[in-house]
Amino acid sequence: MLWFEREVVAALIDPRLDEPTRRAVTDYVDRTLRSMPEHLRAGVAAESLVFGAWSRVEHAAGRLDRDRVRARLERWRRSPLDPIRQYVRLLESLVLFAEHELEPVSAS
Amino acid sequence: MTVLDTEVLVVGSGAGGAVTAAALARAGRAVTIVEEGPWVEPDALEPFSLQEMLAKYRHGGSSAALGRPAIAYAEGRCVGGSTEINSGLYHRLPLELAQEWRDTYRIDEFTPEALERYADRVEDELSVSRLPGAPPPSSAVLERGAVKLGWRAVEFARVFRYEQGGRAVKQTMARTFLPRATEAGARVIPECRVVRLVVDGDRVTGARCERAREDGTTEPLTIRADHVFVCAGAIQTPALLQRSRIRRNVGRGLKMHATVKIAARFPHPIDHGDVPVHRVTEFAPSLTIGGSASRRGHVAMALADSAADYRDALAHWEHVAVYYAAIRSEGSGRVVALPRLRAPLVTYHLTEADMSRLARALVHLGEVLLAAGATELYPSVSGGGVARGPRDLARWWDALDRSTANLMTVHMTSTVRIGEDRERTGADSFGRVWGYRNLRVNDASLLPDAPGVNPQGTIMALATRNAEQFLHDT
Repeated sequence: MLWFEREVVAALIDPRLDEPTRRAVTDYVDRTLRSMPEHLRAGVAAESLVFGAWSRVEHAAGRLDRDRVRARLERWRRSPLDPIRQYVRLLESLVLFAEHELEPVSAS
Repeated sequence: MTVLDTEVLVVGSGAGGAVTAAALARAGRAVTIVEEGPWVEPDALEPFSLQEMLAKYRHGGSSAALGRPAIAYAEGRCVGGSTEINSGLYHRLPLELAQEWRDTYRIDEFTPEALERYADRVEDELSVSRLPGAPPPSSAVLERGAVKLGWRAVEFARVFRYEQGGRAVKQTMARTFLPRATEAGARVIPECRVVRLVVDGDRVTGARCERAREDGTTEPLTIRADHVFVCAGAIQTPALLQRSRIRRNVGRGLKMHATVKIAARFPHPIDHGDVPVHRVTEFAPSLTIGGSASRRGHVAMALADSAADYRDALAHWEHVAVYYAAIRSEGSGRVVALPRLRAPLVTYHLTEADMSRLARALVHLGEVLLAAGATELYPSVSGGGVARGPRDLARWWDALDRSTANLMTVHMTSTVRIGEDRERTGADSFGRVWGYRNLRVNDASLLPDAPGVNPQGTIMALATRNAEQFLHDT
């Protein structure tokens, strides 16, 4: 998973989840992204690099936090541009599915 | 390199491949079935769970046809193919479609009587039946809503066997046709990907494969065969043919049932253990309304597709179930094998009429759910807004467009159509690929169009018919 994808996933995961469960959700997203069709994965990766470029600058300046990423995702979720909307939809769907289908890691 | 010899090689073990293999093995033919995915014990994983997606779905369930909008789709990739992961709903091909296809594509011996005869046999083999008792509340919702609106709704049969004590056992290929094929002498090789077919003039002499070793590496395997059936589904079959440089009318004309969804919240808890068996058929076959898998994870994803604030609904997810409306699209798509990549490029174009039909489908689905007592509806339309009454549904007509619709499908067909019209088909009336004496396709690719209903019954009836013709011809 690319740096910006990790930032997005971290912002999407329910903050109430404990660290082992967060890690399990992240691992599931990572595994699913790896198993995507190559050309789709390349497209998602390209989007991550483009969308993440400004965030990299903000991160370097110490101005990137999860609230800022969340606000950005909220705007993108309603974007009229299909690739942007589908980018958020993909990552959010994977995070939600894992959050609600994985057994709580700390309890197991 | 290991070399195997067989009389008939069947590529793929789903509804087409398993039925083909069983028919040929029972007739005394030496059959080898290769399946790209693993063998997974049928009872090992909970249906529709995350673990099942990882183990049995191609690409972990994250594939999409590119287009505007993109359409997410899912395929099985395990022994038994998509029959291992679907809801098991069964429907015969509507006879008016059979007649239309026969006339349009000039398909020989494609009479309603013949198709019904094959359907009878498939249904006997699979114990196709209806629920032994009352439908669960998630299913009764559809019936109740339809009755209130004066619409037609039916309980669909399923490929389930009901044991004493009420346990329902889905009659997947791994439980039915594949064991019958192996009992008759067929050999199944799981985790074996066919890289390409070996072509010599107008004959296919076998296949070059990659077989997984126990240590996770792969070994090359060549299978020599007198006859080859490609039954890898409407996406993988054309991709394999194209990788083998067989391209005439292959991969074009992909059809899908494009599907919109609604996460519906009710004042009372609703069951989530199974898929509803009722369907609203008032507008069938152009538009069908039904229920989806509604585990907690599915509910969460469906709520999120609305891009509305869904936190309260998710907190009460036991009151929420997911329903869908699927259309027969007049648009079409393509499957294109890409050089050096394993996955093909899949594209799909929905026409303006399709988009209107989807909006209509969404509104009708909303109407039936509200009539059934739902209090909040979250559509799979970004910014569509939550509907709490019939007036809110009117917004959805304009809200659903190419930049807001979140679509998916599990039914793909028609990438190697059958018929005697060589300009429009990739295979003859019985699935033999044009230009090749011993190469046949026998799966969803052959259907000339999307049937508007769950296609597995049609695929199995057609596969039985074509296997019989093969036995007659050879």
